Amino acid sequence: MIHRETLREPLDTSAEIETPEHVRFRHQIAGPARRALAYLIDLVVRGVIVFAVGMLAAIGGIAVGPALRGASTGFVLLVLFAIEWGYYVFFETLWSGRTPGKRALSLRVVTDGGQPLRFGDSLLRNLLRAADLLPPFIEPLSFLGTYAVGLAVMGRDPRFRRLGDLVGGTLVIVEERHTVAGRFALRPAPRPAELASLPARLPLSGEELDAIELFLRRLDRLSPARANELAEMTAPVFARRMGVRYKDATRFLGVLHYRAHAHRGQEGAASGPKPRRKKEVSA
Amino acid sequence: MIGARSQDEFVAARRQDWQELDHILLEGGESLAKKDGAAISRLAALYRSLCTDLMRARAARYTPDLTAYLDALAARAHATLYGAEPFRLPDVVSFFTRDFPRALRQNARFFAIACALFFLPSLVGIAGALASDEFAAHVLPSSVLQGMAQMYSEGLSGRDAGTDTGMAGFYVFNNVGIAFRCFATGVLFGAGSIFFLIYNGLFTGTVVGHVMSVGHGGNIWTFMCSHAPFELTAIVIAGGAGLEMGYALVETRGRTRIGSLRRAAPSIVRQVLGAAAMLLIAAGIEGFWSPSGLPPPVKWAASGVFSLLIVLYLALAGRSAEEAPR
Repeated sequence: MIHRETLREPLDTSAEIETPEHVRFRHQIAGPARRALAYLIDLVVRGVIVFAVGMLAAIGGIAVGPALRGASTGFVLLVLFAIEWGYYVFFETLWSGRTPGKRALSLRVVTDGGQPLRFGDSLLRNLLRAADLLPPFIEPLSFLGTYAVGLAVMGRDPRFRRLGDLVGGTLVIVEERHTVAGRFALRPAPRPAELASLPARLPLSGEELDAIELFLRRLDRLSPARANELAEMTAPVFARRMGVRYKDATRFLGVLHYRAHAHRGQEGAASGPKPRRKKEVSA
Repeated sequence: MIGARSQDEFVAARRQDWQELDHILLEGGESLAKKDGAAISRLAALYRSLCTDLMRARAARYTPDLTAYLDALAARAHATLYGAEPFRLPDVVSFFTRDFPRALRQNARFFAIACALFFLPSLVGIAGALASDEFAAHVLPSSVLQGMAQMYSEGLSGRDAGTDTGMAGFYVFNNVGIAFRCFATGVLFGAGSIFFLIYNGLFTGTVVGHVMSVGHGGNIWTFMCSHAPFELTAIVIAGGAGLEMGYALVETRGRTRIGSLRRAAPSIVRQVLGAAAMLLIAAGIEGFWSPSGLPPPVKWAASGVFSLLIVLYLALAGRSAEEAPR
């Protein structure tokens, strides 16, 4: 179940799910752009299927003669019908909320309680496509929808649900394999001179240290120039507070982090909250 | 002593389990059916310990990338472990013998309104087209009218099987699509369903009226009589389900609008599925039986039997002591 407080969460692109184990975890909600890309992939897949079936039927019709021609037209129309109304329901039921397009973009449809999709849910959300895709494009593309209604509804909903999602009680979530960043190590190791210039007890709050740590863990995914740009936003504030100077902002933050954790290692974590903005020599 | 562990120590201690879980999930396309018993119980155990890790990571306020990683892993494990309900044949049987007619009877009010919205414009169409050609020309392009008149100008003497199959395919594509649109657009506070019911009613009525006015009324009525009970009833059922959905947005009975929609959802799914099944039957009849060269009395007799069966089915099926009073 999604809890009401979820709606007041600061992060508006995640939805909290409570499992039968009473554990809550967050799903990242998929936005319109990503879903539109998945839609385009599915559109191409559907087009290819219809084209292939149409070619087969045409070849069959020519080969066998007029007796089959009518029948093959009917067959193509049946396939067209099945693809138009059944493609999404088929795959979402078979693959537990995923179609080829959604699979390619790591999307999955789940119920708004975070449970796997059932046949009825999928049927409703995909029948309602007929309302979401309004108004259709002008001729000759009138068989395609502009999805203006769906987009407008998504824009108003905190969880990016279109009409079909609202009626079917579903959400589209992003399901990616994240990686966990490894241990952060400052290279080259800080020189004694660098550490000596810092106060023994850092005048940094826990939140500031968390922010520094988060930044350092992202270093391997940032270009050096960008990393420096980000570091320059905070490093001068800390440097002024401690009355020190630095050459390289990124490295300065790394040294601060090293110092904070070396400090924690010496005194143990049970030393309680560190005093803020207090320059004193530790015992 | 959660805080006693640094993030790096925590990750180092638990990482192996996470990677094992990730590995089990990746094997066999994340489907539980493709894993053996040992892997499933290992998966369940790893999932539960991962949930603990997640709570711990959050409580200790480790970095967001770590909680995001654990969140995503937990979500994938959850999706695999709690698979969708299996598809069971008895459900299909009880759907047709019980659920669909019941859902329709409970929605009798909107079914009646949908009937009026469809059949009154049909009558207007028939009467208007019979009264003046201008009326028909206003409603439909003359090319469509001429095509229709041409189609029914000859008696029904049967077609070849290929054409029959072709037309059956066309009826499935066209008519089920119409019914689905009639339903789906009802989510716009019922406006779409009302529009499509009236539009299709007027369209059908005008075509029939025009063909009658040019003197082929017998042909078109004989053609239509067998499949119309299924086809028109199904379109009206779909429209009625759309109206129920639209009304759920207006009269919420103390729920939020979305909650009210969700409450109506099981009933409307049943009605739309039932209507789709009826339209498939209608397409079969319309493709193979209606255009055949059988004498009109046979077709009218069939029409009577079909109508009676539909009325009895929709009115009586699944009516037993267990039907919840409303």
